[in-house]
Amino acid sequence: MVDRRHTSTHYEKELKELKDGLLYLGGLAENAIKNALQALVERNSELARMVIADDAAIDQLDSENEDRCIRILALRQPAARDLRFIATAIKINGHLERIGDMAVNIAEKVLLLNEEPQLKPYVDIPRMAEITQKMIRQSLDSLIREDVDLADQVRREDENVDNLNEQVFRELLTFMIQDPRTIRTALLIMQIAKNLERISDHAEGIADMVIYLVTGKSVRHNDSLEPKGRMA
Amino acid sequence: MKKRLFIRILISYCAVILLVAAIVAVLFSRQIRLLETKQIEESLLHSARLVSLVPFDKTRSNIRFLAQEAGARVTIIDAGGGVLADSRGDVSQMEIHLNRPEVEEARLRGSGKSVRRSSTLRDDEMYVALAVRDEKGIKGYVRMSRSLKEVEDSVQRMYGFLYRTIGLALLPTLLLALVFTRRIFQPIREIRDYTQAIRRGDHSGTLLVKASDELGQLAEAINYLVEEYREKIQLAHEEKGKLEAALASMVEGVVVLDSQGRIESSNRGIETILDRQSSEIHGGSILEAFMSADLQKALERFRRERTPVLEEIRLGGKQPNIVDVNISAIQGLPADEEKTLLVFHDVTRLKKLEQMRTDFVANVTHEISTPLTAIIGFLQTLLAGALEDKETARKFLRIIASNAERLSRLVDDLLTLSSIELNETNLKLESLSVDSLIRTVLPMVEYSAAEKKIALDAIIPEEVPKILADRDRAVQVLMNVLHNAVKFTPEEGRVTLSCREDETRDWVVLQIKDTGIGIPSQEIPRLGERFYRVDKARSREMGGTGLGLSIVKHLMATHGGTMEIASAVGKGTTVSLFFKRAP
Repeated sequence: MVDRRHTSTHYEKELKELKDGLLYLGGLAENAIKNALQALVERNSELARMVIADDAAIDQLDSENEDRCIRILALRQPAARDLRFIATAIKINGHLERIGDMAVNIAEKVLLLNEEPQLKPYVDIPRMAEITQKMIRQSLDSLIREDVDLADQVRREDENVDNLNEQVFRELLTFMIQDPRTIRTALLIMQIAKNLERISDHAEGIADMVIYLVTGKSVRHNDSLEPKGRMA
Repeated sequence: MKKRLFIRILISYCAVILLVAAIVAVLFSRQIRLLETKQIEESLLHSARLVSLVPFDKTRSNIRFLAQEAGARVTIIDAGGGVLADSRGDVSQMEIHLNRPEVEEARLRGSGKSVRRSSTLRDDEMYVALAVRDEKGIKGYVRMSRSLKEVEDSVQRMYGFLYRTIGLALLPTLLLALVFTRRIFQPIREIRDYTQAIRRGDHSGTLLVKASDELGQLAEAINYLVEEYREKIQLAHEEKGKLEAALASMVEGVVVLDSQGRIESSNRGIETILDRQSSEIHGGSILEAFMSADLQKALERFRRERTPVLEEIRLGGKQPNIVDVNISAIQGLPADEEKTLLVFHDVTRLKKLEQMRTDFVANVTHEISTPLTAIIGFLQTLLAGALEDKETARKFLRIIASNAERLSRLVDDLLTLSSIELNETNLKLESLSVDSLIRTVLPMVEYSAAEKKIALDAIIPEEVPKILADRDRAVQVLMNVLHNAVKFTPEEGRVTLSCREDETRDWVVLQIKDTGIGIPSQEIPRLGERFYRVDKARSREMGGTGLGLSIVKHLMATHGGTMEIASAVGKGTTVSLFFKRAP
């Protein structure tokens, strides 16, 4: 909304605060994923517990952002594009909060995994995490710049994560078939991959909202199945 | 503005003229009235005296004639106040005139006068009465009266004259006002235009006002002020330029936040760190520009504690880097315009170097301890009694020897590397023919190539120019690369050495191509690092020290050349060595 002139500078400030709040939440969610993955790779239970504890900050920011949206809706009665922005913000906020929860899920699985011997070095999962972090970052970047192309790029990235998820699934399957003792560990890793895949879906959801915000078109249910990447 | 000034001057001029005219009118009309009335009074009195000399009987019959001659109304009144004759009107209808003020006055003093509105005429009239006496007392009265209309007429004439004079005076006044307006306005307009030009930012020229009056002084004062202003601006410009140049040339990224927390300015260092244009981030928040929750946390901590904050932060984005950020307040600004200064120092390279150093120490320790462990282990076994069994002892001693050799190789390589790094190697640069160089090197690897049934080819075109290099070092470089090629090529593979001139003709390229296991593309940039091995277990198994390529890279650099590696996993690797062409 940078290009818009609002009669009330207070209103403008509120909108900016909301946008900053979303970016902050995005940054925290991104950090949570990064830390959860570091905890996984380094088998660091301490870090995993930190991710779980830090989720409180994410939840608090989530409700703060929601309050901001509702306050603006109630007091300012935004119209047209501003209204769309608020609606978008509410949804993006939800997505980001869910991403935070997924990071907590991953951290919880890491705690369980650390009780078992390491099954294999992680290759695909860090790659997935890297892509999902990039997706979150780019989706928020596209929100600030109102860049539809960038948002579209994020949506296309989702497929790579889906593919990686299936690759992880197949690989772990062979482990389980060969040695049933690995089943517990393999299933935990699978859940982590699944969580990352869900995170990428949320990032895609944010990108969809950006496209809706800028173009007014809803692309959410086009050209792909929902929910995505359900395993065979 | 000019019009208004003109009108104002004109109005004041006119006002002065009208005021003077009004005063003149009042004074003149009074004076004229006074004089003329007096004159009329005297002429009436004179006429009355003349009439009174004539006996009443005669007067009565000739009253009209008398009146005509005197230019006045003549009334003859008897002692009782009865009108005996009147030059105007019918006597019989007239009342007793004794109580008329002039008659009454004449009765008492001999003569009297009065001015009043006559009952017969509308204008003011002056009445003059004269008592006519004989020896018995008052015989009667002669009253003369004349209208004062001519007095008013005179006044009116005077007014008329005054109006014409004012009318005539207005024209020169208009001209005078125009001239004055112009004379006052010209310098004012110059001053105005000049100051406006300065406000627009045009500081050239000085104000030229010829007037020596207050306006001239004003112009001079303005000139003086502008001169000072110009110097101040010049000074500020210079200071600003210096500051901007300093900011721009800083490697550190600098961001200034305004009191609202929006990015007010930034320098080129930030563009490098963010890989974005400064203009893209101006006006936005720190979150919008950096999208880093950690940075936001640091900023919030600074806002809470009001003390400078130093934090190491990992930035995501196109090129993830690690920065030291220093957040502080800009001193000396009013509280509501408080600005925050963020200085970013990119420590990515530093961190990487730190990591490399740590890795290096760990690697060296590891590389040395492995053969040492083996040597000590086997020595202890020998001491424990294995020495007695000659066969076993020999086997163990061979292992010890091979490990000791490996240690020695390692130490040699390390020494070479450190001497190169310390620039202690004095290169004896000479013109070398590639052909002779290759003929020196090839026999050194022929044996190990033949052992693995690897075909070793050298394709050297005859016209290849000589290279400028130190013979021993060049041999070392080629040896290391060829060794690697043979080592990482499976049995029955092929290693080809070729040579060509670079397109720019400045370089001679020696290319060693193998059909080996290849190197994953993401590993290639790290190949020159010390102890860096693509496949750690396998490489060590093959007896490498992990320093070979590192030595090659450094030696090529000291030669002023470069090494390029292209590779495809499973297909093979091509190492290109760029040597300077001999002059």
